[in-house]
Amino acid sequence: MTTRAPQGRTRPGAADQQVGRPGVVWALPAALFFGLFALLPMVLVLVLSFTQWSGLGSPEFVGTENWSRLLDDPVMLKSIGLSLLLTALGVVTQTPVAMLLGVWAAGHQWNRAVLSAIFFVPLLLSAAAVSVLWRAVLDPNFGVPAQMEWLFGDGNLFGNQSTAIAVLVFVSLWQFTPLHALIYQGAAKAVPPMLYEAAEIDGAGRVRSFFAITLPQLRNTMITSMILMIVGGLTTFDTVLILTNGGPGTDTTITAFYMYQKAFRGFDFGLASAIAVVLVVAATAISLVTVRLSGYDKMRSELEGV
Amino acid sequence: MMNTRTRKSLTAAAVASALVLPLAACASGDSGGSSRPENEIHVMVYGDATNKVEQQMVDTFNATSDVKVVLDTIPGADYQQKLQTIIDTNAAPDVFFNWGGGSIEPFVDADLLLPLDDFIAEDPQLKDAFLPAVFNSAVIDGKSYGIPMRGTQPVMLFHNKQVLADAGIEAPETWDELLAAVETLQAKGVTPIALGGADQWPTLMWYQYAFDRVAGPELFEKALAGESDVWDSPESREALDKLSELIEAGAFGTNFDSVKFTDGGSPALLRTGKAAFELMGSWNYSTHYDVEPEWTDANLGYTAFPAIDGGKGDAANITGNTNNFYSVLAKTRYPDTVRDFLKLMYSDEFVEAQLAIGNLPTTTNTEQFLDQAASPDYAAFQFDLVKNAPHFQMSWDQAFPPAAGTPLKIAVQQFFSGQIDADGFIQAMQSLPASR
Amino acid sequence: MSNDLSVTPAEHASGPTTPPTPGGASRPGGTQDGGARRRRAGGRAGRGSRNRPNWGAGIAVTIWLLIVAIPLYVLVTASFQTQAGYAQGGPLSLPTTFTLDNFTNAFEQGFGRYFLNTVVVTVAVVGIVVLLVPPLSYAIVRNRSRATTGIFRMFLLGLAVPASAVIVPIFYVISVVGLYDNLIGVILPTAAFCLPICTIILSGSMRDITNELYEAMALDGASPRRVFLQLVLPLSKGGVATIVVYSALQAWNGFLFPLILTQSEATKVITLGLFNFQTQYGVNIPGLLAAVVMSMIPILLVYLFARRALVQGLMGVGGK
Repeated sequence: MTTRAPQGRTRPGAADQQVGRPGVVWALPAALFFGLFALLPMVLVLVLSFTQWSGLGSPEFVGTENWSRLLDDPVMLKSIGLSLLLTALGVVTQTPVAMLLGVWAAGHQWNRAVLSAIFFVPLLLSAAAVSVLWRAVLDPNFGVPAQMEWLFGDGNLFGNQSTAIAVLVFVSLWQFTPLHALIYQGAAKAVPPMLYEAAEIDGAGRVRSFFAITLPQLRNTMITSMILMIVGGLTTFDTVLILTNGGPGTDTTITAFYMYQKAFRGFDFGLASAIAVVLVVAATAISLVTVRLSGYDKMRSELEGV
Repeated sequence: MMNTRTRKSLTAAAVASALVLPLAACASGDSGGSSRPENEIHVMVYGDATNKVEQQMVDTFNATSDVKVVLDTIPGADYQQKLQTIIDTNAAPDVFFNWGGGSIEPFVDADLLLPLDDFIAEDPQLKDAFLPAVFNSAVIDGKSYGIPMRGTQPVMLFHNKQVLADAGIEAPETWDELLAAVETLQAKGVTPIALGGADQWPTLMWYQYAFDRVAGPELFEKALAGESDVWDSPESREALDKLSELIEAGAFGTNFDSVKFTDGGSPALLRTGKAAFELMGSWNYSTHYDVEPEWTDANLGYTAFPAIDGGKGDAANITGNTNNFYSVLAKTRYPDTVRDFLKLMYSDEFVEAQLAIGNLPTTTNTEQFLDQAASPDYAAFQFDLVKNAPHFQMSWDQAFPPAAGTPLKIAVQQFFSGQIDADGFIQAMQSLPASR
Repeated sequence: MSNDLSVTPAEHASGPTTPPTPGGASRPGGTQDGGARRRRAGGRAGRGSRNRPNWGAGIAVTIWLLIVAIPLYVLVTASFQTQAGYAQGGPLSLPTTFTLDNFTNAFEQGFGRYFLNTVVVTVAVVGIVVLLVPPLSYAIVRNRSRATTGIFRMFLLGLAVPASAVIVPIFYVISVVGLYDNLIGVILPTAAFCLPICTIILSGSMRDITNELYEAMALDGASPRRVFLQLVLPLSKGGVATIVVYSALQAWNGFLFPLILTQSEATKVITLGLFNFQTQYGVNIPGLLAAVVMSMIPILLVYLFARRALVQGLMGVGGK
């Protein structure tokens, strides 16, 4: 797909003809709508983080009280570490599986097409459904662990931090790999076949072709996919809510879930807003850094071809 | 260039939010009675199978009343959250279901609720017709804020009769007997006690009962009032020791933190004989009955929580959901209608209807209808338990205000799974958000 | 089936929007004529090493198939079992009981209404997205001003704005404007958070329209509106289909906004219905899973009929 793009921008004479070009006005409705429901709340959350509000009455300004409470909160600090850990594990597990599946599915064999269609199904399920389903499958007494004791021991998957995290990572892998595999599949299909043909003439095998051709060609795709994973990982909360409820103890209480707990179980909306600000800043910063480090934004604007 | 643009849009957004905030203040400040609906009162309840009785009461009432009652049901576990969301808005109900105690304390503090003492002065039955241990759960600062509705739900020790018979043991009446039973059952390869630890609140049930048996209810009242020294008292430590003893004996097995009651996991352990006991609220009977009625009638046994030798708490004390309550909003337009509606909560019709669907009302006249209950023996056992209890301790997660609920349950879970020791637990309890 | 997934993208890639030859000479081994045919042939026969059976991939894919399929097996079999049967056998064993009660019960418990609410939310969200995103993408692709670049960057950054992080202020705003427990209050933020990715998908597909076509329209003196309606929209049908399916999926499976912003039976959507099956008084897993199965059916149907659009569009997210 990347091969088509350059033509549009390589003829300065044509591009300068401004006839028939739409004005900014075309972009305004969407921009305003998005601003109202996504950007304005971001500002509001900053304002609310300096208030105390229990849902009763109106928010009262309390200065930086929430922020100093947050800095002293061991659960908050722990949750940041957990969020980073879960996000990193998500990227590390999903990327190779999704990439291999995507490249594999990009092949034209009919069986690959059929299996790809099956692999796609988890993407159709809501997070609520996914979590409920896995909870049943992983029940220590009546689920898979009870029938595979050699692997799972007493099946106390939700009772230890390491296994509870492993479950969350695994379920995310199950749920989100199809999306990323698809993204990779699209990119892998766009790799010009001649490159492979050339490599074959040079006597390169399957593995070498993958590392020498496929992988470099998938660079941009990797970045897009990773940004989606990072943002998704940092803010996953429905899976945690239904699968582990942040437990055992606070061992899977990631920042997004902690915010939910503070806001809608403890009715401490001010503190929750402060946590939310941290989340927004972190997610934006990480995405920006990823984009910058990779030079991705430049590539996108130049629509670089092959 | 990007920067100036960002700054500009930030300014715009800040201005916009500055406009919205005072607007918000107006909107919620203006929640007086004027805009409330005319000639109807709204009654908001937790949505579940009991709603049909509530609807029946509403129909009975509406047959003779000019001001009509409208029943709004809010299904699901997030009832408290939803209630808190709307109670200070114009959408607030006139009367609402709650658990008493900490669940309504923030509303009392915010002056949203109507003290019911005037109602009671006009009709003493509104207080006298109910068992006192229950009624008191909705008394805050000496004023009554709730009238019991629905049924009481004491926590009891359930067992699988077949498993106990196979192991040759009786249901334990004392802590030592419980420990002995645990040992016997373990030797037979049965998990002695099913515990849905992943839900957290079943674990709390063990702790609050042990604490009550060892220390008695007064000490908890002090802790609730903010005396955090209580948690470091010898009684508190002894309760923790007792529990440690039980946990270390392997009473709950090793994977209880992966088991839930709410997905049917721990009940299935008990029913299939993989476990012998489960400490659970009285709804446990119908949980089993819904799945396997014959098994439940024949094999589900139930006893009071065991006594602890040398403890200060009366062995007849119980914990659990004392009852659910109707509380009244101060801004209701029709207080007289509300009062008349509440009178139905001790009527014969109400009691019979509740018993028929397996609930156990806590009115003084309940006893005479017990034989009409869905399972008469079970109802009678519970009723005696509640009637004879010197103290009925409301579940701690409901006695504390909502902000304390989560940290409380987490601390108990961590203690059970060995993540924190007694000192760590005491520290966690001492840092709970205080009642006021 | 194999047609949809494998051949079409190649056709698409060499479709009318790509001029026949430019750049062809620079491709290694490329020939001046029959580029499309050559390319497809290359996909099959040209990759000699790829025709050998790939055992490693076969094993890995089988493992992944098991991982994907086992929970789905549990899902389907459990939904047809009785509670007692399920509790006895556990999720993995072959079903010993068969019943349809779980499905009828789900309807008795209000599933029909949840279903209807979800349809309303989904249709409205898709409507908003389809109204807003095509003009926006058109402007992003064709308008070169800084303002538009800025707007595009805002949406790029919007990808990184987590919905869960702004739920508190959204909750606040929605309750202040009186939309709490109102489906509109769910629809608006859900649609807003679909915009970034939909914009990226659609502007990507609009970029494939070549300048020559615009020039041709421009020579006729066409207004932006006419260009949009007669050229851009028809040629980006695939992209529009993708954002329809994508936003429909988001709306149908949305959980966070309904969880926080609604409360009553009258406004409950399916995902929330699933979540609320779990109450303090125990849950019936087969009943729950039956509800999950039913909640999937419409999406499965859409998937069967619109798979191409969805798959291609999502592929496009990373393809550029």
